[in-house]
Amino acid sequence: MKAAVALLAALAFAALPLMTSSNYIIGVGISALIFTVAAAALNLIYGFTGLLSFAQLGFWGIGGYVTALTVVTFGGNFWWGVLWAALINAVVALAIGYPTLRTNRHAFVIMTLTFALLVTLIARDWVDLTRGPLGIPNLPRPSAFGYHFATTGQYYWVAWAFSVAMLAFLYALCSSRIGRTLVAIKQNEPLVRAQGIAPMPYKLSAFAISAAVTGAAGGVFTFHLGIIDPLFLDFYYMQTFLIIVIIGGAGSFWGVIAAGIALSALPEALRFSADFRMIIYGVILVVAMFVMPTGVAGWLRERQLARMREQLR
Amino acid sequence: MTAILHVTELRKSYAGVHALDDVSLAIEAGSITGLIGPNGSGKSTAIDCISGFQKLDSGKVVLAGNDITGQPAHHIARAGLMRTFQTVRIYERLCLRDNLAIAAQQFDPATWVDEFLRTRRYRQAVDKAEVRARELVELIGLKRYWEIETGILSYGQKKLVALAAALMPHPKIVVLDEPVAGVNPTRIREIEVALAELNRAGETFLIVEHNVEFITNLCHRVIVLDQGKKLAEGTAKEIHSDPRVLEAYLGMTPEMAEAEMRGAA
Repeated sequence: MKAAVALLAALAFAALPLMTSSNYIIGVGISALIFTVAAAALNLIYGFTGLLSFAQLGFWGIGGYVTALTVVTFGGNFWWGVLWAALINAVVALAIGYPTLRTNRHAFVIMTLTFALLVTLIARDWVDLTRGPLGIPNLPRPSAFGYHFATTGQYYWVAWAFSVAMLAFLYALCSSRIGRTLVAIKQNEPLVRAQGIAPMPYKLSAFAISAAVTGAAGGVFTFHLGIIDPLFLDFYYMQTFLIIVIIGGAGSFWGVIAAGIALSALPEALRFSADFRMIIYGVILVVAMFVMPTGVAGWLRERQLARMREQLR
Repeated sequence: MTAILHVTELRKSYAGVHALDDVSLAIEAGSITGLIGPNGSGKSTAIDCISGFQKLDSGKVVLAGNDITGQPAHHIARAGLMRTFQTVRIYERLCLRDNLAIAAQQFDPATWVDEFLRTRRYRQAVDKAEVRARELVELIGLKRYWEIETGILSYGQKKLVALAAALMPHPKIVVLDEPVAGVNPTRIREIEVALAELNRAGETFLIVEHNVEFITNLCHRVIVLDQGKKLAEGTAKEIHSDPRVLEAYLGMTPEMAEAEMRGAA
């Protein structure tokens, strides 16, 4: 049932370029897909494992730059660029995660935030590599098997295939025993240790996988934009991922997916009122948080629990 | 009889205060041993040091012939020592079944590759854990909560879940930290019966507890700690008539204690 719904939704999304020729709407579709993947990756480390990581922004930026530089500076193709983005981010995550995860959860938040800011500085100031504030424009759209994904409509398929593959992978991970163990670590780490499970390898792997997926998503998104500059590390992206996870319900796989799609489309749906659109968007977010402080999925869960309590009485 | 857990000359101090001073214990396989003492006598420190949740200053801990001294908690658990905690620890947002499944997970041979490919090894491990879990849930009388989030259970029921989780992987010894503190009297009786039954089936327990009646009814041997030192050791009866224990722990005279014992029985 769930699988059928997911499959139908995926196919419906695949059909978007067939239904409209508007590059603008297709662009929103690409953003929705990629932001949902990045949010699902944040959900893995924050929602499931309980570690709030602001480093996602850094991974996103590194992913974008690595993919762009692979193509422009190092003469590779786009696909290798995305792969390198994932690999390099995984290694970076292991390097910063190993010492940082030994500290407590609060220190982890601060250190990941510092890392994200550091990446922003590097993007701006290491001019020899990143071309600084000028950025790298005119990123060429990729091709595969002789087919060139030249238009936005064609590139949409790349983003779509990437997103479906990543979300399927993350779903398999989250619904496995590994995912269950991550939830257990979030809820009660001493108990996990008392049951013979070492938390560190789990936390570190979750962080590295989250980083790799975020980095690859950044790479795919850069080639949609066609340019990368330090604005790619704007806090707007981190904020978007975080809002999606919190509104959807941290720790709920499907809640975050639904929120990712809905919240990416919402500001566009509000375009009927150009002046007040972002204000209305903000009000909707605030009200949602008041009514459902644990997100949509959390709210549904609370209701289900209340029913159970009633039955047990 | 042979000792399954040997603790020799355990020492631990915090900022110059001796929390444990030369404590040695030997727990025999198939026994129930009580560890009692007034607040601050070092009971919790002792089991934290044994189970790897605190570093010990010196001493030696041997479990079934393996030296586990100073190893991290998860190694000690894998070696066969499972414990519960004074403030009840369970996964409150997971159902009873998942709580028990996680407790056994590290002890089966199935890896994530087995799980991904759904190999026979994986299916067998899951089935085996499920059988064990159902058995224990039957024993603790929480069958109807099988698929329900454990967060909605009462405090006493949560203690039972923690106990069942500790028993999941057939450990060599189970260390219970105040299993009945804060639990209502009828349920205390149920826990007592369940532990006695498990013990008859061969489980070994080390129990830290304040409830004297509970310890008296259940334990084959009782060890008394006071100010980080072992004050006395013997059967519950011997302990009750030991004047040092009465003074340090119960704060009463032998006559008063005798009256208490008659009341308890």
